[in-house]
Amino acid sequence: MTVLPRALPALLVLLGAWQLIVVVASVPPWILPAPVQVVQALLEHRRTLAVDAAVTGGEIVAGLLLGTTLGIASAVLLCVVRSARRWALPLMVISQAVPVFALAPVLTLWFGYGPGAKVAMATLIIYFPVVAASVDGLRYADPGMLDLARTLGAGPRAELWHLRLPAALPSIGSGIRVAASVAPIGAVVGEWTGSSRGLGHAMLQANARLDTDLMFAALACLCAIAVALYVAVDRALDRALYWQADRLHLSSSPELLLR
Amino acid sequence: MMRSRFLPRAALCLFALAFAGQAHATDDAEPVALTVLLDWFVNPDHAPLIVAEQQGWFEQAGLEVTFVEPADPSLPPKLVAAGRADLAITYQPQLHVQADAGLPLVRIATLVATPLNALVVLADGPIRTIADLDGKRVGYSVGGFEDALLGTMLESHGLTLDAVELINVNFSLSPSLLSGQVDAVIGAFRNFELNQMDIEGRPGRAFFPEEEGVPAYDELIVVAHRDRLAEGPDAAALNAFTGVLERAAAFIVNRPEQAWKVFAASDADGLDNELNRRAWRDTVPRFALRPAALDGARYERFAGFMRARGLIDAPPALDTYARQLPGPPR
Amino acid sequence: MITGSSSGPNVRAPGLRIEAVSLALAGRAVLDGLSLDIVAQRWHALLGRSGTGKSSLLRVLAGLQALDGGRTVADDGEPLPGRIAWMAQDDGLLPWLSARDNVMLGARLRGEPRAAARGRADTLLDRVGLGERGGALPATLSGGQRQRVALARTLFEDRAVVLMDEPFSRLDAITRHELQALAHRLLARRTVLLVTHDPLEALRLADRVSVLADGAVHDTVRIDGAAPRDTRTATVLAHVDALWAALQRT
Repeated sequence: MTVLPRALPALLVLLGAWQLIVVVASVPPWILPAPVQVVQALLEHRRTLAVDAAVTGGEIVAGLLLGTTLGIASAVLLCVVRSARRWALPLMVISQAVPVFALAPVLTLWFGYGPGAKVAMATLIIYFPVVAASVDGLRYADPGMLDLARTLGAGPRAELWHLRLPAALPSIGSGIRVAASVAPIGAVVGEWTGSSRGLGHAMLQANARLDTDLMFAALACLCAIAVALYVAVDRALDRALYWQADRLHLSSSPELLLR
Repeated sequence: MMRSRFLPRAALCLFALAFAGQAHATDDAEPVALTVLLDWFVNPDHAPLIVAEQQGWFEQAGLEVTFVEPADPSLPPKLVAAGRADLAITYQPQLHVQADAGLPLVRIATLVATPLNALVVLADGPIRTIADLDGKRVGYSVGGFEDALLGTMLESHGLTLDAVELINVNFSLSPSLLSGQVDAVIGAFRNFELNQMDIEGRPGRAFFPEEEGVPAYDELIVVAHRDRLAEGPDAAALNAFTGVLERAAAFIVNRPEQAWKVFAASDADGLDNELNRRAWRDTVPRFALRPAALDGARYERFAGFMRARGLIDAPPALDTYARQLPGPPR
Repeated sequence: MITGSSSGPNVRAPGLRIEAVSLALAGRAVLDGLSLDIVAQRWHALLGRSGTGKSSLLRVLAGLQALDGGRTVADDGEPLPGRIAWMAQDDGLLPWLSARDNVMLGARLRGEPRAAARGRADTLLDRVGLGERGGALPATLSGGQRQRVALARTLFEDRAVVLMDEPFSRLDAITRHELQALAHRLLARRTVLLVTHDPLEALRLADRVSVLADGAVHDTVRIDGAAPRDTRTATVLAHVDALWAALQRT
């Protein structure tokens, strides 16, 4: 909740600058509408935009959950099955290198024009950051900790569950944060390729009709969703990573700084 | 003595004449550069432009024309309106929307004088008449007015737009129809998608908007920024442009085979294929033979149609967004 | 399962026999035919410059590193694995577990019932003077407190042999002093092998001190008197001189 009050003045400054530019430079409304017009469009179309926002929001969240689950599961698999790493890692790098734009039409043909393709695209875009971060976290566990575990008689499963995974959580967390910020991209690209509802679809439609204020209104909704998602994920991760020093507000402790 | 007096004078006269000719030539020695933004990747719809360029007719008319292919058809008119390009190929229905939105664009020529848009279904599919579309899925690519066309066509068969589920398939018109993802597509070009489906072995059946209650319109037109039409070298260049278009259209109609070869040769890798060959055959009868000519009443009729469908508010005066240019001198 | 009190194991702690062990790491001979006898139920200190293989020897004994040659056995004939507790320089506390949960880490890793373990952990925390801080996260504890938790964890395992790799080197002098005494008291009657770089620490706590160099034992000294010793006595000071000289020769 402390994010909003701090962001508000910055937001107002941005909006003010925007309004100023439009007025001073006499920018035609079909290139860049003034914030006032965008707000008007938002209010005028609030019902359809709400439905579109729910559709796109659902696709994003579903993609985030699916991509994160698959990503972490893949990383665990790679950790457990050592031999898999050799061929799996290049495959994952390729999955990241292929631009989602290129795959979008193919995925749409397979999954149809429903939410399936959008969720698939969001999942794809999220998958690699999560896997990479998770593999890193799992692989580079503190050897001293692992030594200790061995002397305490821990088997490989206990080592993975009680040590490697919790130790990897900070790394996995940063992967999830990246995922939360790119998930909207996958969903919107999916909608551009084929859809009947959603904010991406609304933007396309408005653009074609030269309804630029509506396009910006839909864009504003999308931004709001993206920010809300990021904040929610950030909060959840903070809760999950309760033991991290700065969360405990101990950063003022000099001993901790020296550590 | 006489010879020596005559020769220098003769030489001087010749010299003067030569210079005079040169002075005349410097008037059009500086070709006017025109950037033309196409509506899509080069295809037979653009034949007059490509043929004219290949034959050097733009050059002869003192124009240096560059074609740019965009990936987003809605962008070229905006770029011209913003002064970033000289001419754009766009669609007449789009022009009405643009005029309504206040873009300073004027139609100066017609490229394709008939609608190309069609409602397409699989020939061997269950849809025999438009009425069969009740409760079906229709794919469209975002042009902004496809649902107005479709709505009119449905209404002429007793259905409304609510009777179908509209799905934006974003230019994947043939694939979505062929794969069965949708039951019909609107926004397919009758000279293109139909041939594409034919080649795939799954021919389509088309319903034409102008036969189902939609007023006839020009599918492809050329627009310029309104300020360019004031008197001066700009206006002259535009006049020359329309003149070249007319020359090319006539050439294509008179010698379609030869014109095809010229068109295909412009880009050996890309253009010479079965689809383009068939599309060429179907497009040739549709090129505007009098590109500069403007049927004002027809434009007004279509503007009224768009207003009735709620796509535009109040159409501005026709003269502000469509003109018939006088053409080149001579 | 040994459930003896922290004052001593139920089973008699054995001595260790290290017989001509060799180990090469990254092409370098870390242990070179090293032989050493560790007397049962006594503290034995290993001194030496860094890189002389002290830690490697400990890791071999702990079962974390395989030997290239030689062997290590308990002098009662029973196998060594499972009878060794390990305490490193790094307290090794898991930051996401409370002090109590860290103490009973072994039980958690081995899947043993938690309720009984919790009671024992609390008792042990009490013994190291942290009875009130059972629920605290390691980040909220000082360095000395964290090593106490590590000590409690070592005691929780109740193993007969304890290997300590410079466990107090990161602490300030006063805390180190206190912890040395505490450890010596709580680990009574166990066989303890202590690696240290501080001759005074060795002489204060151990009954025997071996100087390691070039992967082998150069010298072993026996010190009389009960530990923890007063390091200001003449005997100890004489030993200090001898050890310094021995170290400087290596």
